[in-house]
Amino acid sequence: MNLRDNPELLDRLAAAYALGTLRGGARRRFESLARQSATVRAAALIWQERFASMTELQAGDKPSANVWKRIENLLAAAPGAAALGENAMFEKLRRALGLWRGAAVAAALAGVAAIVVGVNLSREVASSESQLAQARQQGTQLAAQNAQLAARMQAMPEIQYVAVLANDQSSPSVLVTFDPKQNMMTFKRVGGFQEGPDKSLQLWALMPSGGPKSLGVLGTQPMTQMPAAEGEVKQMPMLAVSLEPKGGVPGEGGPTGPVLFKGALLPTTI
Amino acid sequence: MPRVRLEYAHNAPMAHDLQDQQLIALIERVAARQLPGARAGEGEAALRELYDLTCSKLYGVALKVLGNRDWAEDVLQEAYLNIWRIAGDYRVALSPPMAWMGVIVRSRALDFRRRRASDRADAVLELDDAISETVAGDSADPMDTAQASEQAWALHECLRKLEAKQREVVSLAYLRDLSHSELAQQLKLPLGTVKTWIRRGLEQLRGCMGRFA
Repeated sequence: MNLRDNPELLDRLAAAYALGTLRGGARRRFESLARQSATVRAAALIWQERFASMTELQAGDKPSANVWKRIENLLAAAPGAAALGENAMFEKLRRALGLWRGAAVAAALAGVAAIVVGVNLSREVASSESQLAQARQQGTQLAAQNAQLAARMQAMPEIQYVAVLANDQSSPSVLVTFDPKQNMMTFKRVGGFQEGPDKSLQLWALMPSGGPKSLGVLGTQPMTQMPAAEGEVKQMPMLAVSLEPKGGVPGEGGPTGPVLFKGALLPTTI
Repeated sequence: MPRVRLEYAHNAPMAHDLQDQQLIALIERVAARQLPGARAGEGEAALRELYDLTCSKLYGVALKVLGNRDWAEDVLQEAYLNIWRIAGDYRVALSPPMAWMGVIVRSRALDFRRRRASDRADAVLELDDAISETVAGDSADPMDTAQASEQAWALHECLRKLEAKQREVVSLAYLRDLSHSELAQQLKLPLGTVKTWIRRGLEQLRGCMGRFA
């Protein structure tokens, strides 16, 4: 059978092939002809494309809001290939550190003696170290804190997980690191957010199953540390911060106030 | 033919083209997250926009294939993660963006059905009431061209000319990837009837689509 000499039959078979109703031996014969002839292949492709448009004609419907939440969580939870690449993660860190520097300058303008520590994670390790040394000499409290965190950022092998909790404009607000050697989570405020005197910022781990788990309340100081076991941290795909009454709310019910910042907890994979 | 083309052009305003351009730009932004110098969060933001613009239509596709809201939502989630991973391949597909995404949803939904069917031998899919009604009577055209590309407009124009029951079995055959006998079983119709409807439907469709070629 030479389908090329019979365009009518070719078109009919190609349409049935693409629709899926050409089955069994007839389908296999058509496929083998298509492998031999570009004309046959082209006819099949045209019909495949035409029927593909059928998906565009289906009546829409509204999926539950949970679908996007699940997608977002999975994107955030999957390291490397599926979600943020390592570069993107470092980029986030760099941006967070940049803002953090900005916050330090603001603090200095407000009358607090502060030394701005230049940190560039990827390249300027050597020069940062000399700046860090300088900063330590200055001995101001903020610089010491910055230096401490910066040194820890540079000693990446000690930091196994990292998260940048951002507000809905993607501005980093809390930088989170986890050090498995000390079983310690460190939360560093990097944005300018200041809760009111009658409010507290409460930290939550959004677990893959079950409700959010309270990790505690963020101190008003720039840095808060909390002990945490590595096994626990591994299971937390996302962290979030909600605005709660002073002292926080009991953990069982989940957040009662608005969620201000959230972000994925990512393994540093070094 | 000129007259058909005129009518077609009238029905496919520039808006569709603009919408396609917008969707293409978003797919490319999702893909661009892997390029050097990409801004963090940019890919996620683009996927979110893409989701907001297309989830209703694609959910409709998944629902039509699966006839179950929970399953359709699972498939929708899988499909967007798939789009996230393979956005870089879009360019070579040369398809309208909605059709490209629709095909991804359809194939994820078909995979889901096959997995389910092999998990449970008795997992016969109930045919949705709406489809039974359409096949039984001659109800109004349920198709929706709100997000249709030019190509989909042509298909719509041609499907519209079929009898409702022919249109429905042809649509179902494609979307659910069903053979004549599977269709007959699901629609509780004699095999000969299904074959006749499909054959006539396809013949008419071929004649009509040929004019848009």
